[in-house]
Amino acid sequence: MTSIEVQALTKEFGTRRAVDDVTFRVLPGRVTGFLGPNGAGKSTTMRLVLGLDRPTSGTATIGGRAYVTLDEPLRHVGALLDAQAAHGSRSGRDHLRTLAASNRIPDRRVEEVLEQTGLASVARRRVKTYSLGMRQRLGIAAALLGDPGVVMLDEPSNGLDPEGIIWIRELLRRLAGEGRTVLVSSHLMNETASFADHLVVLGRGRLLADTPMREFIHARVRPGVRIRTTDPTALKSALARHGHDAVEHEDGHWTVQHTRVDEIGAIVSAARVPLLELATQEATLEQAYLDLTATETEFTAQPQEA
Amino acid sequence: MSSPPIPRSFAPVLRSEWLKIRTLRSLLGALLALFAATTAFSAIAGVSETSDPEFDPLFMALSGVGPGQIAAISFGAMAVSSEFHGGGLRLSLAAVPRRGRWFAAKLLAIGVPTLAVGLVTALAALVVGRAGLGDAASGLSTGEQTRGVIGCAVYLTLMALFAAGVATLLRSGVGALSLIIPFILVVSFVIGDAAGAGVADFLPDRAGQTVLYETPDRTLGPWTGLGVTALWTAAAVTAGAWSLRRRDA
Repeated sequence: MTSIEVQALTKEFGTRRAVDDVTFRVLPGRVTGFLGPNGAGKSTTMRLVLGLDRPTSGTATIGGRAYVTLDEPLRHVGALLDAQAAHGSRSGRDHLRTLAASNRIPDRRVEEVLEQTGLASVARRRVKTYSLGMRQRLGIAAALLGDPGVVMLDEPSNGLDPEGIIWIRELLRRLAGEGRTVLVSSHLMNETASFADHLVVLGRGRLLADTPMREFIHARVRPGVRIRTTDPTALKSALARHGHDAVEHEDGHWTVQHTRVDEIGAIVSAARVPLLELATQEATLEQAYLDLTATETEFTAQPQEA
Repeated sequence: MSSPPIPRSFAPVLRSEWLKIRTLRSLLGALLALFAATTAFSAIAGVSETSDPEFDPLFMALSGVGPGQIAAISFGAMAVSSEFHGGGLRLSLAAVPRRGRWFAAKLLAIGVPTLAVGLVTALAALVVGRAGLGDAASGLSTGEQTRGVIGCAVYLTLMALFAAGVATLLRSGVGALSLIIPFILVVSFVIGDAAGAGVADFLPDRAGQTVLYETPDRTLGPWTGLGVTALWTAAAVTAGAWSLRRRDA
């Protein structure tokens, strides 16, 4: 299987550096989440990989080859860039047939991907009658058309209903499980956390992180314990005896950072502190991401939607 | 454009581009309008005044081309502009990253149907135009009529490709149409009438239409006139190809 290699990639639009000397590899067999606020350079990077934009400097290759040199590229790389790309006056099926024809992909595949993306029943309807979620599915169908080893999706869960979001999550997991290279951009942290194994994070065009997701989270956020009690004084003193500091929150619950529920459970139980709740507070990707971006002075100077 | 040997993988690209045209009703509608408008206006012209000293029976029979060419121009411009909706071009160029190849297929998919419909249209226009003109058109030779029909079809094809080139350059069908159509309807008429002959005979529409006259009284002959239009088309197509290759999609 093939990987995506991005090497010292830079793209300037006028004086603005949309992508600034970025180097990373996207490996097969796992889902790589491509994170960053809107305008961080994720979409530009994807367009550069597909040879749609010319880099100012640096290279982007697929299995060592520039995308534009691939013969029948849809058989190697499937991409969703913009769900609005399908012409509104064509039917979903005809849209896919025009793409399939250009890469000698049999029409049988068109029916298969329509079935796979749940569009078979609306395939004959014109695309302008589709909801945003249906267009998104059509864009994903187009990406899967050539049964490619590399799949690149830009914000695929945009406009999908909850059922669609679960579907895309399972689809991404399955594609990676089949050994494909999967790169999925998003600005939604919880969503990305649900399917990604690995993360590439961009901010203001620069590479901020390229690490496994677990490592990314655990390096930045320690798990904690959440407690509710009817006797805060007893709780505080019991924890203090063991060197833990409990913090009270507005709704009356307490949290203890940098520790595990096994340890805290034993302490409070031995001290006979009455408990209403004792739970692990998982470190989230969102916390880790905010921690990362907080250290980026540019972000804090000009907060962006994230 | 230079013509490299056609690569093996050109045929699928051409098939895809032809499928794109076939699957858009508006484009098929433009081709139908080309036929309908040309023959209808030729039929009307056939029953008009024939005593004018400048009366030319071949041009009168084919004069439906004047309105009909608007449909050919629209067809060429819209076939290209259908790619510029919401990032559609990116999808097309991701499927066919060799932009020159893609553009050549697009132009062929525009040119061939226009030529085919143009031939049928010109023949029909000549038949209905002659029927209306009666004796006034009886002096037309077979050679002149053949030249008129073929020339008319080639002219319509060149205008469609001219529009396709301009639309690619501007990345907008509306932009191309709002440039070309007023030019043909207004500028060309005004300059043509004001300057009489000379420069105006080299404008893309007037040069090419020389081929539609039994006895052209212009600076250019019928085929050289068509050749001048072909140069305009080549320039527009080259500019479009240059823009397509150079710019980010």
